[in-house]
Amino acid sequence: MTISPDDDFAAAEYALGTLDPSERATLAARRLREPELDEAIRAWEELLAPLAEVAPEIEPPRDLLPAIEARIRGASPEAPENGAIVALERSIRRWRAAAIAASIIAGVLAIGFVARETSRRSAPHEYVAILQKDAASPAFAVTVNLDKQELTVRPVAAQAPPGKSYELWIIDAKLGARSLGVIGDKSRGASLSAYDPAVVEGATYAVTVEPPGGSPTGQPSGAPVFVGKLIPVGP
Amino acid sequence: MTIRGGAPGDRGPAGAGDDLADLLSRIAARDAAAFAALYKQTSAKLYGVVARILTRGDVAADVLQEAYVRIWEKAGEFDPLKGSPLAWMATIARNRALDEVRRVRPLSLEDQPEGFEPAAEEIDPLAARERSEGLAALVDCLKALDEEKRAVVLLAYYRGLSREALAKRFGRPVPTIKTWLHRSLAQLRDCLAS
Repeated sequence: MTISPDDDFAAAEYALGTLDPSERATLAARRLREPELDEAIRAWEELLAPLAEVAPEIEPPRDLLPAIEARIRGASPEAPENGAIVALERSIRRWRAAAIAASIIAGVLAIGFVARETSRRSAPHEYVAILQKDAASPAFAVTVNLDKQELTVRPVAAQAPPGKSYELWIIDAKLGARSLGVIGDKSRGASLSAYDPAVVEGATYAVTVEPPGGSPTGQPSGAPVFVGKLIPVGP
Repeated sequence: MTIRGGAPGDRGPAGAGDDLADLLSRIAARDAAAFAALYKQTSAKLYGVVARILTRGDVAADVLQEAYVRIWEKAGEFDPLKGSPLAWMATIARNRALDEVRRVRPLSLEDQPEGFEPAAEEIDPLAARERSEGLAALVDCLKALDEEKRAVVLLAYYRGLSREALAKRFGRPVPTIKTWLHRSLAQLRDCLAS
């Protein structure tokens, strides 16, 4: 199976870098869940990559390596002069701890889903998506009832950075990214009646970091931080 | 770039002569000395890629940091059959730079210069004397494009110019630039496949 010519051109422009911000954010979310699109982007990246060989060198600022080494060790630099870096390291460590806790919660959730699946074999058209950055860090649980055209999003282990909001998007190859609203600390619902059930079922769901109250432009401000696709719950 | 064989373990301390592919395989095994050696050998190259796209030095430095953190995390995914180690690393760094420059923000990066001027020269791979096999093939195919269309692709690649910026620069409507990009990229792929 191959991707559509439109997606192929989008993949080419993604690799070259000429997509506009919302197109780029949309494709960044889709590639995480659409292996063929991801493969197409990689192929274009590999095609263009030899060009980088001839970009003349520019000496980077001198003090970067210790900061990078500190980040990959997850520890502070040996002689921290910069309070901001130390604070960042701390918040990364906290995030790691939260991610570990989240994976435990996810395990419990998964057991819950299996239990529900077996006890409610007759319940059709229910779907769930765990939005995550990677396998170890689930952040939001999205449930969709296709009959009622309702969506519920529940934070599992995610808290928006200070002064920022998380916003949920439904992303489809044709529609692009459409907002489903800002996500607070608690579980909240959203109507999906504006969308075709086939779109709801096949779409990518993504969360971006936005200014307080959500994106000012109605489009994602950057690449998604958490993404997922729906899987059916029930028979 | 040649890729030499050899098991990751049978080399001495990381030094300037180490092959990049070997360094990446040692980094995949969490060898911090290999990472420092890789940074030493490649950081000016990768900074040369990101600093031409990001016009603010502090942002470019942040992006370079993030790129190396990703290289550390993803070193095990490097596949020598799909390109050189440097091309693989440059793709990671360039993608991070593009994510940054294509972020929707109230003020664009270009509106807030901080006295940082990355090298403004045009980069012409056609004039490069030393070329890897991969670059030589790509250059042959770039030569087959019209000069103007080739310039559009190269400016997009090296400077991270958007369709709008390219349209302004070449005095053409945005849809024309988009059509050029699609045709040029398709032509390059067909040429490389033949």
